[in-house]
Amino acid sequence: MTDAPTSISLDAHLAIAGPAAESFARLWRTLWRQDHLPAELLELCRLTMARLHGDAGEQAAANIELGGHAPSPGRRDAVLSGTALDDPAFSPADKAVLLFAEYYWMDPQSITDEAADAVKAHFGEAGLVMLIEALGCIDGRIRAARCLRDLTAAAPAKETAHVG
Amino acid sequence: MSAKPRATGPGTQTGNVIRDSAMGLIPETVDEIIALNGHVWRDSLVPPSLLEIIRLRNARTVNCVFCKSVRYDVARRDGLSEDRAEMVADGYEDSALAPREKAALALADAYLNFPAGMAPDGAARLSCTFQPAEIASMLVALMTFNFTSRMAVSIGGMPEEPLPITEVSLAISTS
Repeated sequence: MTDAPTSISLDAHLAIAGPAAESFARLWRTLWRQDHLPAELLELCRLTMARLHGDAGEQAAANIELGGHAPSPGRRDAVLSGTALDDPAFSPADKAVLLFAEYYWMDPQSITDEAADAVKAHFGEAGLVMLIEALGCIDGRIRAARCLRDLTAAAPAKETAHVG
Repeated sequence: MSAKPRATGPGTQTGNVIRDSAMGLIPETVDEIIALNGHVWRDSLVPPSLLEIIRLRNARTVNCVFCKSVRYDVARRDGLSEDRAEMVADGYEDSALAPREKAALALADAYLNFPAGMAPDGAARLSCTFQPAEIASMLVALMTFNFTSRMAVSIGGMPEEPLPITEVSLAISTS
């Protein structure tokens, strides 16, 4: 495997872990096919997390789970530049979800009741729970991918050291 | 942290703490989350005591009061005493934990840190200590522990004070 891991390509890199990795991969695919939150909005959450992690590889990764629900280039760029919350092209529902994602990324303990209530006002309690699940998966996969990237980057140096 | 739960469970009393929680509101994912938790523990490529150590490190970092109080029976049976469980605190590198346990905790910290990731010497240490499949297995476990503990914190309604340490059966979240 030669591509650098991202949240999108992670499953191939973790498959050697066996049934648990397969289960996590199924959960990941389900996120993009549920009825509580639009897949396009979840993708904007993934891009928000990619921006907050400062992860260029993650920002560039094409999400193969989206099918025909990819965000427009304008919405994608606004999220990646951090201007979406002030952009009239984003609805109040979009902004509620993206603001919640920023709180979640910073620290779940920082999430305000107002931010959670705003998500519930648009998507209900189940929508809020679905959002928290999705953010947990997205953030976790970005973190795991970053660890794997660092392990891969360190591997050639180790081999060289052994040869030398 | 919100003192009041932001979402309540489906009102079921199945005995499974995941199904009866707010996660039970999402039928599309709840079965897979329960299955995932079972696979993480039962099909892990590292021993349960090692999994428990990284689960507790995650619980401390996320500050999930529930997660910090729980001790899984499978880890106890695998030899993780309370004395050793307490060694996951900051300063674990100077503790009596085994080198593999310290390396696993370093992986957990690399995953949990801002920014996530590890320095070359940390990556080399991990590669020398674990097989790639073991590292992959621990990363899947970390994602699962982190996902569920952050879920609990995000939903709110958690007590502020520590809860008593309680040994629980793995079955409460896997069957």
